[in-house]
Amino acid sequence: MEIQLDFISSDMLAKKGSAEKISFILSRIKKNVIIVLEEALEPREETELIEASMREIDAEDFHGIEFFRMDHKARSLREKIAEYISGRRHGITIVGPTRLIEAIKREPEYISMLARIELPEKEGEKRHTSARDAEKSTRKTTKKS
Amino acid sequence: MLSAFRKTLRRLMRIFRKKKQIQLGFYGPVNAGKTTLANRISIDWLGKEVGTVSEIPHETREVTKIENIVVTTNNGELRMNIVDMPGIATQVDFKSFKAYGMSEEEAKARAREATKGVIEAIKWLDNVDAVLVVLDSTKDPYTQVNVTIIGNLEARGIPMIIVANKIDLPEAQPSAISSAFPQHVVVPISAQTGENLEALYEAIQKHLT
Repeated sequence: MEIQLDFISSDMLAKKGSAEKISFILSRIKKNVIIVLEEALEPREETELIEASMREIDAEDFHGIEFFRMDHKARSLREKIAEYISGRRHGITIVGPTRLIEAIKREPEYISMLARIELPEKEGEKRHTSARDAEKSTRKTTKKS
Repeated sequence: MLSAFRKTLRRLMRIFRKKKQIQLGFYGPVNAGKTTLANRISIDWLGKEVGTVSEIPHETREVTKIENIVVTTNNGELRMNIVDMPGIATQVDFKSFKAYGMSEEEAKARAREATKGVIEAIKWLDNVDAVLVVLDSTKDPYTQVNVTIIGNLEARGIPMIIVANKIDLPEAQPSAISSAFPQHVVVPISAQTGENLEALYEAIQKHLT
């Protein structure tokens, strides 16, 4: 099975308000896409995302999300002022449906995301396996900057 | 910028308006022991239990308020209302409940209630004065749910103490919680046995009132 990852630029996200952004994220995730945002979601946006996900959960198709955020800590005074004025934090956020993301493990220096592969149906039986067990591993490791 | 202003305003208001009785929210991930702690405090000081606890996730699916608790410590009286919240989660799969022997209908109903509980808990963030973030010290503390809860409280300027619960279990590592969130006060306790609760009450008096 193919796993689709969409990378969303900060320019595109900047055009959207919080509600529009959350709605956009969820619409992609419900199509079984893992998305990588070129910005760190604000804590309030994260709770809005959780809240919106809870409203969308249904027994058969959608059981929720997995996500993680990595912040880029502002180092220079200029960066800090720019972040304070814009209210935006630099970094990345990865969000995906739980049916694709099996686990996310944070370590001090990196974050590991374990994706789940759903094998094609065979003789009417659906088979699932994790990337850990599959021959073709799709383990994605992102180094913290 | 607006959130930074709101945070500063909230801090200033707290300095000038010390409350005699605080509304203390219990937040945390699912199965961290929030209701066990609420029950322990309620039984000790009001003589009654307030909620059921279970190994099945999402046992607490509605917000429970326990009012007018007066705790006596070495430093005087601590007056509070406790608001025990459903656990915060990013996913609810009814099939996970079936593993505990529930029928499909029961499991689906529990999942529906659990999702509503998470939404209700998030909405209550605007109505608490201070928070105990209850974490299971036998588990990895650096999860996105924990980071999101703590990040939200920081952004809203709500004072908090992190409770490293379940220290009665041999695999507990409360020091891992202190390492993950070094900027916050962490109090190790066992809600099950009552161990170190006196230290928790004193920490609430010192940092949250």
